[in-house]
Amino acid sequence: MKILVADDSRVMRQIVIRTLRQAGFAGHDVVEAENGRQAVELVRSEGPDLVLSDWNMPEMSGLDALSVIRASGSRVPFGFVTSEGTEDMRARAAAAGAQFLIAKPFTPEVFAAQLSTVLPPAP
Amino acid sequence: MILAMNGEQALVAASPKPTDVRKLTQEVWGTFLGEHGPLEVGTDLGFAPDWSASVSVKGEWNGVVALEMTTSGAQRLTRSMLGLETSEELVDGDLVDAIGEMVNMIGGNVKGLVRGPCRLSLPLVAAGRFAHGSGQREVVRLGCTWAAEPLAITVHAGRPAKSLTTRPLEAR
Repeated sequence: MKILVADDSRVMRQIVIRTLRQAGFAGHDVVEAENGRQAVELVRSEGPDLVLSDWNMPEMSGLDALSVIRASGSRVPFGFVTSEGTEDMRARAAAAGAQFLIAKPFTPEVFAAQLSTVLPPAP
Repeated sequence: MILAMNGEQALVAASPKPTDVRKLTQEVWGTFLGEHGPLEVGTDLGFAPDWSASVSVKGEWNGVVALEMTTSGAQRLTRSMLGLETSEELVDGDLVDAIGEMVNMIGGNVKGLVRGPCRLSLPLVAAGRFAHGSGQREVVRLGCTWAAEPLAITVHAGRPAKSLTTRPLEAR
């Protein structure tokens, strides 16, 4: 299976990928996007099974990217990984079609709990 | 008897409290950097920072959250976050990315402490100390030590004067 990780920070993309491994999702392919616009393009061209996206990014925010992805008809599971985890943000994420929101800082246990609802563990 | 607050008292009352900022900062630091020792708070050494990173919060509450570090501390933080060995080369872009992401996480959590709708900016990273606007007041300062390196986390409340905002070295 394929996971798209979208974050403008290379450091955070590396941490997310490392946490995926620690959470038991080591065997999946990972593709990376630096902003929401790239994420939209990669959802179209790569057909990932899950999108993990930052919220606040240049070019296009994660929320705007999710809106474009849903408007295109894609139902790909989408979760935010963001530094802002207020109830308001969680409500906005859910209303836009996100399955979950993981607030930074996060642990492998949080990843495992959230991702197990949308992705099988790697064989 | 009800006593009215003046503008400065109201600004402080509406701003994040040092104990809350300390708690969330230690949580952020401990989650991603804890294997290299705890963040010790309350050790303000009055150091000269080589790097500063900041994020702005604008809306019902206005302010700036900043992180100041030495080059050595920023390199250690960057290597830790990227999982690199000490022998591997770093470029300034790596440091900008890492300390920008760290202040982004702290700032995002600080935003959760204030009332009302607000927006969080993308991080700005600059060489040297953080320079706040004349209209802003320091409401939190955490002098810290991590991995034997000094660092500081500050929160300034109030709107910045446009002519006195910091000039970013690089924006992410």
